[in-house]
Amino acid sequence: MTLSTRKGTVNIVEVNRHDNNIHAGQGTLKGLDIVFRKFRKALFGKANTERDDTEGQFNVQYPEERLVLAEAYRNMPILLYDDATGQELCTSCFQCERVCPPQVIHITQAKHPETGKPVPAAAEFVLEYDTCMSCGYCAEVCPFDAIKMDHDFELSTADHPALDVHYTHLLRPVSYYEAIAPTMWAEVRDAALKKLQNNIKRRPGNIGVDHGQKIAGKSSAAAPKAATPAAGAAGRKQYTGPIAKVGTSMSEDKLARLMAIREANTGKRGGPPESGAHAIEADVATNAAGQVAPSDQATSGSAASKATGPVAAPGKNMSEDKLARLMAIREANKAKQGE
Amino acid sequence: MLKTEELQVNIGPQHPSTHGVFRMLVTVDGETLVDLKPVFGYLHRNHEQLGEVNSYLQNMPFTDRLDYFNSMVNNHAYARAVEQLAGIEVPERAQYIRVIMDELSRILNHASALGFLLGDMGAWQTSLLWGLREREKILDLFEYVSGARMMCNYSRFGGVARDIDDYFISEVKKLMQGLPRYFDEFERLLVENEILLVRAKGVGVLPKELALSYSVTGPLLRGSGVPYDVRKAEPYAVYDRFDFDIPVGTVGDVYDRFLVRVEEMRQSYRILEQALQQMPEAEGGHINPKVKQQSLKPPVGESYARVESPKGELGFYLVSDGSGSAYRYKVRAPSFINLSALADMCKGYKIADVVVILGSIDIVMGEVDR
Repeated sequence: MTLSTRKGTVNIVEVNRHDNNIHAGQGTLKGLDIVFRKFRKALFGKANTERDDTEGQFNVQYPEERLVLAEAYRNMPILLYDDATGQELCTSCFQCERVCPPQVIHITQAKHPETGKPVPAAAEFVLEYDTCMSCGYCAEVCPFDAIKMDHDFELSTADHPALDVHYTHLLRPVSYYEAIAPTMWAEVRDAALKKLQNNIKRRPGNIGVDHGQKIAGKSSAAAPKAATPAAGAAGRKQYTGPIAKVGTSMSEDKLARLMAIREANTGKRGGPPESGAHAIEADVATNAAGQVAPSDQATSGSAASKATGPVAAPGKNMSEDKLARLMAIREANKAKQGE
Repeated sequence: MLKTEELQVNIGPQHPSTHGVFRMLVTVDGETLVDLKPVFGYLHRNHEQLGEVNSYLQNMPFTDRLDYFNSMVNNHAYARAVEQLAGIEVPERAQYIRVIMDELSRILNHASALGFLLGDMGAWQTSLLWGLREREKILDLFEYVSGARMMCNYSRFGGVARDIDDYFISEVKKLMQGLPRYFDEFERLLVENEILLVRAKGVGVLPKELALSYSVTGPLLRGSGVPYDVRKAEPYAVYDRFDFDIPVGTVGDVYDRFLVRVEEMRQSYRILEQALQQMPEAEGGHINPKVKQQSLKPPVGESYARVESPKGELGFYLVSDGSGSAYRYKVRAPSFINLSALADMCKGYKIADVVVILGSIDIVMGEVDR
């Protein structure tokens, strides 16, 4: 049936109500046939290896195994600093504070210690993670590419005040962001670093490097003139991230394991130089293997992606002993299947 | 003569079948429903007032939270309202991207809505997961392109936030290879199922005249036999370039709405096919680069833009006084208006049917309460 309107003709189809069909349980049997076929396939069909398989299930053993997140994935903003110099990219231009829809960004501009004039750096940067809705506008408007969206989604905590995250805990090295979003960073890298160089010239003393950031290669000497040695050390020691206080209701060995995990994570976010650089390198390697760039997808990349599938290589976000346990489980399963 | 006494029962607000925090104050005579009073507002969060305080751009992520199943469609509708207000041109390519996202949303919404409807009927988990399985794949695509699964925040004034790449298109094509079989299986599995027929046929009839007088839209109206679809009645974006049919029901009961939704998924598939075919020839980029997104100050005036959201006609009304935020901002939420017909649809049926009828309207409380 067609209908003519001012905007042209419209095709209309009446849905088939199956009024004339005989129903004596036939419809249900038809449906059960489908269910049975799926069931048979799940039991005797070949195992699924790709997440795109439409039959049966494809399980990812979270948290040991994880899906690779899309580069554009956004969950909570972070602030970047340069690996080599420790200089923060943020210049406290207030663009993100102005655009933020729930108004959770609070910036204090750094002042010149002698003249009192504003300096292109932030003295304090507070972000209310509990109210942030991860819309990504701050990262979109930032003219200096200083604020970016993180991929860390495991932020649950019982410590609510810790969700007002301060500058010290927001800072991540540029290499961290490069690892999670290589192509997005490549697009803006040159311009961002050039702007940073210009801004460094206008920052007197240690303004812009005094928020406890770790610099690869040099441990504490990197911040040449920490305001006071104590302040610098405190900034480093206090790092807990937006995570709850631990150990109150935990058994001894569980606490030990948790601490190991935390340490590994701290390393990944620019902790002590040796482990930090190592973790980031590992990240880049797994990303290169797991997250196939669209252009290589058709050619060389497809083989690599087949090998790893859409699952990140294990060990990416894992403490040593957890990895060892996972490997032991895998071995045991393999042995079981071999029998 | 024995006399029965009427009894008032609250269904909800904390009830798994009410699709959110929604309360139905029902008066029953035995098992037969005499009266029903919908009570809502539990999820009210001042959306329209916020829209009058925020800047135009700041309001975009809040529209995600209206109908959180179809944030892509909400973004599209809001962006269209602002574009109309400020006279912004949208490049062709951006229009195609929006259409692709809208139609993916429609498939996603109908698949899960039908799953929920069957879950309400008592088909515990199988049918629900049957719908959610397909939804999950589409959400993965949304995550890839926009950065978030549900709160996409993808449209901008004059286009979309990020361009789609070849990888995305190849993934959509891969997804679409499986869709026709999915639709077939869905129909075979459920459409002639006797339990569904008994629970859905002749239940919750909404006559054509009543549907029009309540100004319900979407699959609810088409199920009642009115071939009204904004995509055809007032073609927006590039919908006038696609060839697709409007499925209509004949009786206007739950079964008709069910069938209309199944058929609409097929029509969405047809639109997707054509859109992907036509898109390479589309001109322009993914966004109009001249638009000042953050400091947009549309001239004094008003605009109303509507799109065919999977739930019905979604409209945004904006009045500008020339400043950076809207003077008046109003949302015509399809769920809310469709819900107003609930009492008339339920009267005279058994109390167990109320849940099914509510499920067949396909409401989202985020949109009803705003």
